[in-house]
Amino acid sequence: MKESLKRIFNAGWTNFKRNSYLSLGTTGVMALVLFLFSALLALNFLSLKVVSSLQEKVDVTAYFKAVATEDEIMKVKDDLSEWSQISNVEYISRDQALEEFKARHAGDILIQDSLAELDDNPLQASLNIKASNPSQYAEIVTFLEGNKFRTLVDKINFYENEEVISRVEKISQSIQNWGMLLTLGLAVIAVLITFNTIRLTIYNQKQEIEIMRLVGGSNWHIRAPFLVEGGIYGVFAAIVTLVIFYPVIYLASPKVELVMPNASLIGYFAANAFKYIGMVLFVGTMLGVVSSAVAIRRFLKV
Amino acid sequence: MALDGVSLEIKLGELVSLVGPSGAGKSTLLKLLTREIVPSQGEVYVDKVNLANLSEGDVPLLRRKIGTIFQDFKLLSNKNAFENVAFALEVCGASSEEIETDVPKVLGIVGLQEKINSFPYQMSGGEKQRLAIARALIHRPNIILADEPTGNLDMVNSYDVVKLLLKINELGTTVILATHNREIVNSIGRRVVTMEKGKVVRDQVEEGKYII
Repeated sequence: MKESLKRIFNAGWTNFKRNSYLSLGTTGVMALVLFLFSALLALNFLSLKVVSSLQEKVDVTAYFKAVATEDEIMKVKDDLSEWSQISNVEYISRDQALEEFKARHAGDILIQDSLAELDDNPLQASLNIKASNPSQYAEIVTFLEGNKFRTLVDKINFYENEEVISRVEKISQSIQNWGMLLTLGLAVIAVLITFNTIRLTIYNQKQEIEIMRLVGGSNWHIRAPFLVEGGIYGVFAAIVTLVIFYPVIYLASPKVELVMPNASLIGYFAANAFKYIGMVLFVGTMLGVVSSAVAIRRFLKV
Repeated sequence: MALDGVSLEIKLGELVSLVGPSGAGKSTLLKLLTREIVPSQGEVYVDKVNLANLSEGDVPLLRRKIGTIFQDFKLLSNKNAFENVAFALEVCGASSEEIETDVPKVLGIVGLQEKINSFPYQMSGGEKQRLAIARALIHRPNIILADEPTGNLDMVNSYDVVKLLLKINELGTTVILATHNREIVNSIGRRVVTMEKGKVVRDQVEEGKYII
């Protein structure tokens, strides 16, 4: 058993070496395909970043009347915090709001002067609510509307933001859908290209397969070295892909960060290096082996 | 119809020359024996086994009992001489030690010990055919089928091949030689089966000659 495995691997490797031009071509095409996959992964990462940064910009704020006590507002906050869809609730007291307002308009003498004229703090306490998904804001607002403390709430700025929120939601949905469609489409094309290339490679050895059959080789004896050869294409293609992909990402990352400051491509692929390398190797090998298996089936009819 | 009403029995250890013009059905008859084709009517027995009862998985086993030699050699072009012969042993499940000792030995028998690492494209026609014979011999088959083995060779190389076949037959192996080379058949002088248009027209059991 061990011996025949060794023989199969040797035969596959010898075949790979001796058909060097064909092997080079097939490996090249497969590397291209794997590179495409990697580029799609990077694209996916970026589009997710775009979507999440858009979503982070969307929130809903409930402003409370001056009569509302801090305890009452904190109760509303606690109620909200229990929701799993809500990622963050921030309480801003009237004093805090004033401080922030002053700080924001520190250079504006007119505003500073008019604030000084007032005896009372004109600003309202508020709860700033961020949901994990923009589609949940409507629900949150309904909850606030039906709350027993409804009378304390002066206004909810959802109605002003509603259109923006729904637009963001639509954009992120379509980015995800199209990204998915693009990935799927390219993946299908990639598999077809690989499959066809390997099929041509094996077609070249059609006569060899027939001879092996005539000499008394069982299907398994004939097939196994081809499967190994396919696997070797995959492994080499994966290595070539990785050797090209990481430097490309390294060079491209700073340029991407100019446009999207919080999207570090190199950071992402360095953090997930183990997973990503494993995946490229696995996908490459499987692509090679499966393509070989399918391609050789046609020539094996005894 | 390639063959019509052929009834033939070949005993263990015989050397039979199968002669006749091209298209007489000689190759078809040999292909029936290796089950490359299945008869539309009638039965074929090899080693007391009815080939019609053979499952797909058993076909390779049948072919390992038979050594086949072809006019166009049918060597594996990207394997060298050693590997071409070794492949036939590997499919029989031989150990590496067996392969290491037997392959050079059989290459020596056919006079190719110098060419052990050569690829088929580096060999002459006669050498290729001798390599094919080495491959057919390596697993010690009971039967050797030779389909026009001298068809692509000159006279000198042809006689080398025939001498090898005679030597193999002397060691007890059944040899069936399909050919239309008159001089060769006449020089062998054993059983000669003559075919024409898919029928056996003559079966000379001893001292056979090629007569048309």
